[in-house]
Amino acid sequence: MLQLEGIEKTYLSGDVATPVLKGISFEVNPGEYVAIMGASGTGKSTLMNILGCLDKPTAGHYRLDDVDMVNLDDDELSHVRNHKIGFVFQQFHLLQRTSALKNVLLPLIYSDDYPEEAEDLAENALTMVGLADRIDYRPSQLSGGQQQRVAIARALITNPSMILADEPTGNLDSRSGSEVMAIFQRLHRDGRTVIVITHDRDLAEHANRLIVLDDGRIAEDELVDEPRDAEAELAAMTQSEEAA
Amino acid sequence: MRVLRIAGEGMNSLAANKLRTFFMMAGTIVGIAALTVIMAIGKGTEKKVMKRVEVFGPRAMMLIAGGGRALPPPDTSVTTLTLDDAQAIREEVTGLEMATPQAWQFGVSLKHEASQIQAVVWGVEPQWHEAWDWHAAEGEGISDEDVATMSRVCVIGSAVKRDLFGGTDPIGKSLYINKVSLTVKGVLEHRGTTGGDGGEFDNRVILPITTAMRRVMNVDHVGAIRIITQDVSLMEQQARQIEDLIRRRHHITPDVEDDFRIITAAIIADMVRGTSRTLSLLLMALAGLSLLVGGVVLMNILLISVAERTREIGLRRAVGATRGDIFAQFLTESLSVTFLGMLLGSAVGAAISLAIGRLTPMPAIVSWEPFALAIAFALLVGTFFGVQPARRAARLHPVEALR
Repeated sequence: MLQLEGIEKTYLSGDVATPVLKGISFEVNPGEYVAIMGASGTGKSTLMNILGCLDKPTAGHYRLDDVDMVNLDDDELSHVRNHKIGFVFQQFHLLQRTSALKNVLLPLIYSDDYPEEAEDLAENALTMVGLADRIDYRPSQLSGGQQQRVAIARALITNPSMILADEPTGNLDSRSGSEVMAIFQRLHRDGRTVIVITHDRDLAEHANRLIVLDDGRIAEDELVDEPRDAEAELAAMTQSEEAA
Repeated sequence: MRVLRIAGEGMNSLAANKLRTFFMMAGTIVGIAALTVIMAIGKGTEKKVMKRVEVFGPRAMMLIAGGGRALPPPDTSVTTLTLDDAQAIREEVTGLEMATPQAWQFGVSLKHEASQIQAVVWGVEPQWHEAWDWHAAEGEGISDEDVATMSRVCVIGSAVKRDLFGGTDPIGKSLYINKVSLTVKGVLEHRGTTGGDGGEFDNRVILPITTAMRRVMNVDHVGAIRIITQDVSLMEQQARQIEDLIRRRHHITPDVEDDFRIITAAIIADMVRGTSRTLSLLLMALAGLSLLVGGVVLMNILLISVAERTREIGLRRAVGATRGDIFAQFLTESLSVTFLGMLLGSAVGAAISLAIGRLTPMPAIVSWEPFALAIAFALLVGTFFGVQPARRAARLHPVEALR
């Protein structure tokens, strides 16, 4: 589904060139759940921007559904982001003073054809993340976990090729974090491609495959034998809460 | 339609920030309101001008005894204007249809049996009817024979018929002016008021000029000469010619002021326009300043808003907005603000215009033209001051904006 081939990214600041990515190559097949892990400064944010078509590599090739992103112009990349990528950010990035439903509909505003049943799709997406009863709530009326789930619903609305999540639990307490991870695992079971970028190994081990970055290169790329089960963790949390 | 959805995003943002939106709009409201009032007053004034010129006579000039530029009542103490002056004008100035003298006296007592009223008395030639396009509605007007024989007849205005004769048929009846008995031979068409100065046209009596000068007023000068040109485009030049002629005949040296004045239709129009023009200039300055300052305020609030909403812009880019989409959204915000401000400003301006028309002597007519102009101005201001912020928003790099 996506192939990276010798991706390099070098930032120029005056005369000083700072290489951040130094030749990254890997493939992701449809339906995979991949965690990309690395400490801060290893280039994972840069990689996330390139995977998300928000930025272009300095060298190398990035093919998404057999199209080389390197050759596309700004408008074409916008189109790709709209159709093929569902973003989930650490800070949620919801529009304030705007209902959950309207937030979920946002990507459709920029799609070429706005489906007639758009609002139904958005309601379904919100139901899928467990917010059926929060459709008209504004971000300020929702908890962090709920806000992130609105963001996941928004990422799903265009039925993208992949979900790309950047530290999706970074601003959440552990219970809300597990809820988000449980949703990702469910999406994976439904056959969606999910890529989570994080510095947190516990989080990364929920995925089926783990790519570890170090200093702009891939240090590890292996399947996770027994991914952690977010549902089971949630059940355990509920149990220990009840015991206490 | 994608473009409509994006425009909708711009308007949602305005609706969500009502106070900010109002500040963005304020300048446009004031500017467009002022513009609307200017045009309403302008239109009202032109209508009044047309009416006054129509009443005065578009091809007419009045040569009036006494200096200055004001309208009648004239200075009756000046005795230098004569029948010979009128004759000289007829002979020496070409392109005139007529020049007919008239003697006048104001506040004269008229008596009929027990009733008595005050009226204006004019001594006229038969051409007077033609010169003012004002004829007898009942009976007959002043004839050549009346003038030649100095006959004791008069034609009365409709107000005199009403007030002195109680509305009964006055023809053949007599009335007294300064103990001179005159027989009523006609009643003039109803003319109404002159407008503006409130003088009533119909409260008058006209006599043959000879009768008036010799029998009633006992004078050998006239009050005015009414002159009708054949060609309006020659009027200015003819007025100069007449001025020179009369100065020469009255032996007025260059350093002395004229003892007469010439009033043309153009001068009447100028006088009517006078006060409205000052106000219009003032409002024009207000409109220009408001739209300019309002536009700058609008631009600055939009620029601040772009800076505040950097993350929103980044997010929109991430979920698929192109640079063009972002540009369109912010330009829509700017245009919606000025368009809405234009609607409010037009409403406020129309209300003020109606109030001016009702409560002041200034004429004001509300019409669709200022609205059309307002739309043009709103789009112009919205575009001019909205492009820069919209471009700045569109140029943001999504990665930087999301940080």
